[in-house]
Amino acid sequence: MSNVNAVTFTIVVVLFLVVTLTGFAAARWRRAEDMLHLNEWGLGGRGFGTFVAWFLLGGDLYTAYTFIAVPAAMFGAGAVTGYFAVAYTIIVFPIALIFLPRLWSVARVHHYVTPADFIRGRYGSRGLALAIAFTGILALMPYIALQLVGIQAVLTVMGVGSTSGNAFIKDLPLFIAFGVLAIFTYVSGLRAPALIAFIKDTLVYVMIIVAVLYLPAKVGGWGHIFSTAETHMKTISPVTHKPTGVFIPTTGNSQLAFSTLALGSALALMVYPHAVTGVLSTKRRDIIKRNMALLPIYSIMLGFIALLGYVALADKVTAANVKKAGNAQLAVPYLFQHLFPSWFTGIAFSAIVIGALVPAAIMAIAAANLFTRNIFKEFFKSDASPRLQTRVSQWVSLIVKVGALLFAVSLPKTFSINLQLLGGIWILQTFPSIVSGLFTHWFHRYALLAGWLTGMLYGTIAAYNVSTPTTSHWAGSVDTVFGHTVYIGLTAIILNLAVSVILTLVLRAARVPAGTDETLPQQYSADPVETPAPAPAAAVLGSEVRGGGGGDLPRAARQLAAVRGGELTPRRPTWTRPGRTAGWPGCRPAPGA
Amino acid sequence: MTQPSDTSRPSGGSRSPVAAHPVTSAVIAILILASVFFAVWVPLYASATPKIGDFPFFYAYLLIYMPVLGIVMWIVVTLQGRLRRRPGAKGPAAAGDSEVAR
Repeated sequence: MSNVNAVTFTIVVVLFLVVTLTGFAAARWRRAEDMLHLNEWGLGGRGFGTFVAWFLLGGDLYTAYTFIAVPAAMFGAGAVTGYFAVAYTIIVFPIALIFLPRLWSVARVHHYVTPADFIRGRYGSRGLALAIAFTGILALMPYIALQLVGIQAVLTVMGVGSTSGNAFIKDLPLFIAFGVLAIFTYVSGLRAPALIAFIKDTLVYVMIIVAVLYLPAKVGGWGHIFSTAETHMKTISPVTHKPTGVFIPTTGNSQLAFSTLALGSALALMVYPHAVTGVLSTKRRDIIKRNMALLPIYSIMLGFIALLGYVALADKVTAANVKKAGNAQLAVPYLFQHLFPSWFTGIAFSAIVIGALVPAAIMAIAAANLFTRNIFKEFFKSDASPRLQTRVSQWVSLIVKVGALLFAVSLPKTFSINLQLLGGIWILQTFPSIVSGLFTHWFHRYALLAGWLTGMLYGTIAAYNVSTPTTSHWAGSVDTVFGHTVYIGLTAIILNLAVSVILTLVLRAARVPAGTDETLPQQYSADPVETPAPAPAAAVLGSEVRGGGGGDLPRAARQLAAVRGGELTPRRPTWTRPGRTAGWPGCRPAPGA
Repeated sequence: MTQPSDTSRPSGGSRSPVAAHPVTSAVIAILILASVFFAVWVPLYASATPKIGDFPFFYAYLLIYMPVLGIVMWIVVTLQGRLRRRPGAKGPAAAGDSEVAR
């Protein structure tokens, strides 16, 4: 620890302590009567407004790994593997605006906590719900581990721990950071990352604005930065005998790779369980919609973060340091360390470290909720009380974090990165079930399960087979299909959909019973504006409505149930008939059953 | 689960909000599709020229796209809000919301 800069180190430690205190204080923020309920611990009471949700979702979706990996990809290979992320964060919002409000509404009416809860309710299929939950946990684990890789990159450049030969001492700072994270998540649940997100996002904004205004001039201006990058990307690599990277995708295949990567990643992002957790924690349907218009502000920032990879290329000292370390992930930390005064380096490094803690906490909570609701409660203890469910989730969140820590420390870094790449492909395979389910009940549960399996298998095998002259397997996330370079996830989801459609036709023709659908068409657009977050004890919808509607039950129930002109309810004419007792979330006989 | 009895009248008549506001609905659909299309269709913007400041067009285009997208999304959300306030319905909560895309 000889070359640690005292100023930088002190600032990082102080800001980390501030965040730790905030994390514990969050338990008292918007405190509910009974914190031992999954709606409270796992979803922050479902009461966040536009402002909090903006910080929470921003903190959730733009992770520390993004700040490290996107510029690293730009540094290493240019536009197709790096700058596609900017196009991807554009596409994600219009697409999300189509389906997220519907997911929010149906989840609020039925008190769903996870995306797999919705699948269980919509298709009446434990198997399909298990597949969705399993995929979610599988995809989240390496994602959490990668947040640690982000912290490690900063710690390495700071010179903390990395020089020691002892494996335990070497990773001690990481253990401390994650231990603290694990404890405050256990205590405060989703409230902790929501409150810390304010600090994180403020620091990140300061870091980016200063970096964009200050750094380019230091290395010769944007004109010089872009021409250096262009020259670098066109240089023929001695190993592969191909250009190092792509500066502007002008060939058909590089354009196709760029747009399929962007489209596939955009489809995947909002079905990640941690994104769903953030969405379901909001108070009203409108808040989701408004945030789809407000979150692009974050993406502007991402665009500039990506370009920092080119700035690092243009700075000779940084480029040399990265080359010496042999790890492109260090590009941004080295750039900051070289060009910023040490106090500001401290602030920037804190932004990245704290930026890792927020999403890691939300991901651990999302994974824990999936386990509790869709594995523990579903298969082991169907009468689990809300209190027990919360306890289980708290413990699982700890286990998930320890697992991710072991993952990050013991396995080679490239392994976590490959798994994360696979995670994106895997989670994309849950998209057809979740999103089609929000609009139609046409697909058959077994067909969706078979489609999911096809996509998972194809995606995994195809990703394994990607090779370059320097790497034999897992070399990237695009492969060649009929002569076109396409994102593997997108090919897999197309196969997935094709299998789902064909098998649905077959199963329907064979009259295989569909599952029982407990949702009603109008519940997908319900907006219980005047209804506060469900009371912890409310297992019954009536009591939830009564709690907020001031006793005006029929009116509030009507709001919840508001039929949209009946256009989506051909099968339930009884719903709109006055005086008739309607089956509220009750079971509708499935067509053909 | 106990089931609250449904004493509501048929709300909002038989016309769907989409059918009631065909123009607004079409505008929403076009705006959503366009905002995806102009980002996915790379040949539109994959060129170095015209330079915007020191930025090659390819890089500047996507950076400028972001604030424009924010504004377009805001218009879409506002229009969707207008869709669901049908004549005779009081307040935004009186009727279900609607999505154009299904």
